[in-house]
Amino acid sequence: MKLTTEQFTALEQELDSVKQQVQAGLGDADARYIRRVLLTQRLSALSGRILLVLGFITPWLWLLGVLLLALAKILDNMEIGHNVLHGQYDWMNDPVLHSKRYEWDIACDAGSWQRTHNFEHHTYTNIIGKDRDFGYGLLRLSNDFRWRLRNLWQGGTYLLLSMLFQWGVSYHELAAQRVFFGKKKLERHSQVSDSELKKAFFSKGARQLIKDYVFFPLIAGPMWLWVLCGNLLANLIRNLWTSTVIFCGHFTKDVYVFSAAQCEGESRGQWYYRQMLGSSNFTGPTWLHILTGHLSCQIEHHLFPDIPARHYPAMAKQVQAIAAKYAIPYNTGSFVHQYSTVFLRIMRYSLPGGDKAVKAL
Amino acid sequence: MLGNQSSLTLYLLPLMQQLVPGFLPGHYRARLLCRQWQTADMLQLSFKVSGRWPGFVPGQHLLLTLQHQGRYISRTFSICSPLSLWQSQQQIQLCCKINRAGEFTPLLNQLKNGAVVNISTAQGDFYWQQAATAAVFVAAGSGITPVAAMLLSQRHWLTPVSLFYRCRGAENAALLSELQQLAARQPLFTLALSDSRTEPAETLQQRLINNSDARQFYLCGPAAFMQQMRMALIHNGVNAAQIRQEQFGLAITAPADHTAAGMQLSASFIRAGISTKVTLNPQQSLLQNAEQHGLAPRFGCRMGVCFQCVCDKVSGQVRDLRSGALSGHGAEQIQLCVSQPLTELVIKL
Repeated sequence: MKLTTEQFTALEQELDSVKQQVQAGLGDADARYIRRVLLTQRLSALSGRILLVLGFITPWLWLLGVLLLALAKILDNMEIGHNVLHGQYDWMNDPVLHSKRYEWDIACDAGSWQRTHNFEHHTYTNIIGKDRDFGYGLLRLSNDFRWRLRNLWQGGTYLLLSMLFQWGVSYHELAAQRVFFGKKKLERHSQVSDSELKKAFFSKGARQLIKDYVFFPLIAGPMWLWVLCGNLLANLIRNLWTSTVIFCGHFTKDVYVFSAAQCEGESRGQWYYRQMLGSSNFTGPTWLHILTGHLSCQIEHHLFPDIPARHYPAMAKQVQAIAAKYAIPYNTGSFVHQYSTVFLRIMRYSLPGGDKAVKAL
Repeated sequence: MLGNQSSLTLYLLPLMQQLVPGFLPGHYRARLLCRQWQTADMLQLSFKVSGRWPGFVPGQHLLLTLQHQGRYISRTFSICSPLSLWQSQQQIQLCCKINRAGEFTPLLNQLKNGAVVNISTAQGDFYWQQAATAAVFVAAGSGITPVAAMLLSQRHWLTPVSLFYRCRGAENAALLSELQQLAARQPLFTLALSDSRTEPAETLQQRLINNSDARQFYLCGPAAFMQQMRMALIHNGVNAAQIRQEQFGLAITAPADHTAAGMQLSASFIRAGISTKVTLNPQQSLLQNAEQHGLAPRFGCRMGVCFQCVCDKVSGQVRDLRSGALSGHGAEQIQLCVSQPLTELVIKL
C-alpha cells in the first residue's frame, strides 16, 4: 500500500482540485446557511433559558428548556464555533462569523483552541508524541505507550473526561506547556507565555462558571435551583456529545497512527495521505451531521479544514472514490459501530500489552 | 459577556437581521433614491440617510458597505453634495467612478431604487479650512467629488477662489453643470477647465504658478498628478503647509533595493493558529498578497481609512503605501491594505 512519489503528487493534485471546485462556488448559499444555523442557535439558547424558569408551570417545560439549551450549546460549539474558528467563513468578512473575533460558549478560550487544535492537532495529526489529542495524555490507546497502573482504571477516567470535556479542552494547552505540573519540555516552543495562558484559562473559565451557575440562577429568583440544575445538565449533555463525536474521529479501531520520524519532510500529498489514514468518518442523516458540526466527515475535515463544513458530505463521495483509486483505506461506518470500536479500544489498552498501532507507511 | 460575543448587539445580530434585513452594527442605513450617470463612467447616487447619522464636513468621505455573494465588501467614496442638502432633506450624494472590470463598483449600478446600503460615519481631514483667505483648488478626474462638496456648500464668499478642473474633455467632467451654475451666480468663484487631451500638465502647472500668491492650495486626484502639481508649487515658493491634498487610490512605490536585486520575499501568515508561508509580490499590498494565496483577512476600504484590516506584525519591515514611511522591524500593528512588504514577514491575521 505504499504509494510512489508520483502517486503522492497525483493524489495531491486530485484532492486540491476537489477543494478548488468547492472554493470557487462559495457564496450566497453558504452565507445563508451559516446565518440560519446561527439564528437557530440564538433562538434555542434564548427560548431554552426562558423555559428553564417556566419549569414551575410543569417540569416538562423545564426539560424542554434543558434540551434546547443543550442544542444551542452543541450548535455553538460544533457547527458554528469549531468551524468558524477554523476560518471557514472568514471570506464573508462578517462581524460575528470570523475566526479572529468569534468566541464560543465553552470553557476553552478561542485563542488557545486555535493553537492546540488548529495548529498542533491538525498539523501533526496522530503522530505519537506530537499530537497530544491522541489520548489527551490521559488515555492509553495503543501499545506505543507504556502501560502504567493508572491505565487500569482509564474506563473511569474516560467517563470523567467526557463529563467534564469542556474543562479538558480548556486545560489542554496548559497541560502541554506544563504550566502547573511537571517538567518543562525543552523542545516545545509557545507563542504565548505561561502567565498569558493562565490568564486566558481562568478568565474564560470564570466567565463561563459565573454565567451558567451564578448570573442566570440569580436572575431566576425563586427558580434559581431549577435554572442552576438545568444549566448543569445542558453542559453535561453538550460535554458527553462533543466528547463522543470527537473520540469517533481519531480513535476508532482501524485508524492509523504515526511516528515523528515517518512524517519528517513530508510533501503535501503525503500530508493528505496521513490525514486520510488518521481520521475516521461515520454515516448518518443530515441532522446528525449538523449536530456533529460535520465532524462525522472527519476525513474531509482534516483534508480541507478551512472549507465550509456543509460541503463535506458531498466531498466525501469524491474523496472516497479517490481513496479507492489509490487503495488507501477509508475508515467509515455507522455511528454505533464506530463508537463501539472506540470504547473497546479504551477498554483493551487499559490492560498491558496489545498491538502497536504505528504501521509502516 | 453573556453571549460570549464582545457585545450584546453582536449576540443578537442574527435576530436583529431578521427584523431589519441588512442591519450591520456600527453602520448607518442609507436608502437609494436615484442613480444618474454624470459622465460615461461616473455614476451619481442619491441617498436618504438615517437620522442617526452624525453628518459630515464637506470634503469628507465615507465607507459604503454592500453584501455581495455572501460577503460584506466596502469601498470609500467622497460625498459630492452640498451640506445644505443633508441639512434640509437628510440626503447625500456620492459620485462614484464605475470600473466595469472591478468587483465593487459595477454593483452600484445594479442597486435598485429603494435599496438599503450601510454607510460609515464621515471621515477624513481634507476640508476647506479658512474660508476668508484666497484659495486655489486643483481637482483631476474623480478627485472633483470632495472639492465639489466644499465649493457647493460654501454660503458666504469673502475672497476669490479658483478651481482648476482637469479632465478628458467637458463630456468627461462630472458635476460640471453644478459648478458652472455656481460660477455664474458667484462672481468670486472662477472655474477653469483643463482638458488633459489638449493641455499638457506643464501648461496647467504654469497657470497654477501664476496664482501662487494665493494662500491655500487644495489638491485632489491621482497620486502622480498631485505629486507633479505639488512639486511645481513648492519650487515656486509655496510653503508645503499651505498645500492640502487628498489621494485617490494607492500608488505602489518602487520596491526596496534588495528585491530589485531579485531576492524572493516570503511571509508567514498565521491565521486561526495555522501558519501559512507564501511568496510575496513586493509590488502589491500585503492584503492583496494574502488574498491571492487563499487567505481571507478582514478588510474594508482597501486604502488605509477604515482600520478593519489591522493585524499584528510579529516581525519584519513594511512600507506605508500612502506616505512611504518605513515601519520598525519588531512587533506592531499594521494595516494590511496599505502595507508593502520590504523584508521577510511574520503576520498574525
